[in-house]
Amino acid sequence: MLRVRNLGVGFGAEPVLENIDLDIKAGEFASLIGPSGSGKTSILRAVTHLLEPLTGTTEVDVPSRDVGFLFQDDALLPWRTARQNVALGLRIRGSEIDDAEEQAQQWLARLGLERFGDRYPRQLSGGQRKRVAIAQVLALEPKLLLMDEPFASLDAIVRTRITQELLDWVEHEHLTVLLVTHDLEEAISVSDVVYVLSQGPRARIRARHEVPIARPRNVLETRRDPRFGPLLKRLWDELSAESSLAA
Amino acid sequence: MKRWLDNPTLRRAVALVFLLALWETASRLDWINPFYASSPSAVAKVLYSLFADGQIWPHLEATFSAAVIGLVAGLALGVVLGFVAALTPLLAQLIEPVMILLNAIPRVILAPLFVIWLGIDLASKVALALILVAVLIFFAVYSGIKEVDQRLVERVRTLGGGKRVLIREVYVPSVTAWIMGSLKVAVGFAFTGACVGEFVASSRGLGYLLQFAQSTYNAALTMALIVLIMGFVVVLFGLSEWLERRLLPWRYA
Repeated sequence: MLRVRNLGVGFGAEPVLENIDLDIKAGEFASLIGPSGSGKTSILRAVTHLLEPLTGTTEVDVPSRDVGFLFQDDALLPWRTARQNVALGLRIRGSEIDDAEEQAQQWLARLGLERFGDRYPRQLSGGQRKRVAIAQVLALEPKLLLMDEPFASLDAIVRTRITQELLDWVEHEHLTVLLVTHDLEEAISVSDVVYVLSQGPRARIRARHEVPIARPRNVLETRRDPRFGPLLKRLWDELSAESSLAA
Repeated sequence: MKRWLDNPTLRRAVALVFLLALWETASRLDWINPFYASSPSAVAKVLYSLFADGQIWPHLEATFSAAVIGLVAGLALGVVLGFVAALTPLLAQLIEPVMILLNAIPRVILAPLFVIWLGIDLASKVALALILVAVLIFFAVYSGIKEVDQRLVERVRTLGGGKRVLIREVYVPSVTAWIMGSLKVAVGFAFTGACVGEFVASSRGLGYLLQFAQSTYNAALTMALIVLIMGFVVVLFGLSEWLERRLLPWRYA
């Protein structure tokens, strides 16, 4: 579904990333973890052509309209209501305004926001804004979903709840997902495959781990699986080795 | 006991009445020279007579037309130039230095030039109000577009939006917010332009009357005219605020 070959990204003289190869199969849930500043986000931005790579290629098996990108911050259009924000993508794709808003309303309802459609972003809490951003992306029914630490700003309870909702949807629609995160437990509890990025500059893929826990999953129960602990320890050791290289 | 003073509007009104009473008393008891400082009652009397015999109307009309036409035209020109400069870098290189220069000088020094070019009638006052407003609005629009939230631009792009969608969904609303932020200042500038234009050369207008009041050492008339202009600016402020709430409901909801 998604292939990244020999990707190199950089802004100045020294590349942030180098020789990145990723192979994500259709229906696979992959996570990419790495130290801060290792360029995790740049990989997603290169895949969506928001960033021009120095070297290498990225290849997606579906048209770009089927790729959804959930950003780290929930920057919604402040002058549009929650419903209008969700409808925006649908309207860009040519839906009539009424159809788009009706669909948007259904998406908001699915994410527990049916009563908040007329609110502006500044009238919503952080968790609610995040749900609107999720609805905005899912409403376009992407086949490939790219997520850049989407839950970093949320408290633990809200975070677990939203993650589970998203996971259920991914399962239901057989989505392919690439999640960028620095949260090891989150990465293991949701993914089939975890890629570990080394410390930048010139960060590379240091390791690839399969998570041997069956899907569909429950975020909380997965953490109690006997295979969860040992994998967490391995990833922890790898990442702290990388971080100590930098320190 | 002090509950009625909790209302800020009421508190301001009380303070104003107190100051006016103090001024009136000071003037009547000759603590200050009424010839220079006049008094609220004298100012009110002049204001009343200006309206009662109707001689104020042609002057009001002159200043008001100049300010409002200059304001609207200045807004339009500033918006157009701002968009053009922000979207076509080549023209920005031509427009920006001129605007920076115009912004750096006290633009009212152009008044005599406008009188030479456009005569002592309305046109020269409109031109001065227009140039004062246009430069202000140009920078609001130009920097509004340049400093638009790039995250929003990226969102709309990844949702599949092209240039047209970006302008409609991101640039226009964000620039509208910037313009609204400058609108009150623009109202003040428009009246500055109209009045200063009338100081320089005119046969009508509040600026002309002010000039006349000054040359006859008529403090009461001078103050009456100042109060009058303040009144109009306050009304226009109210209108701008109403417009702002209508155009930017997302800020006030």
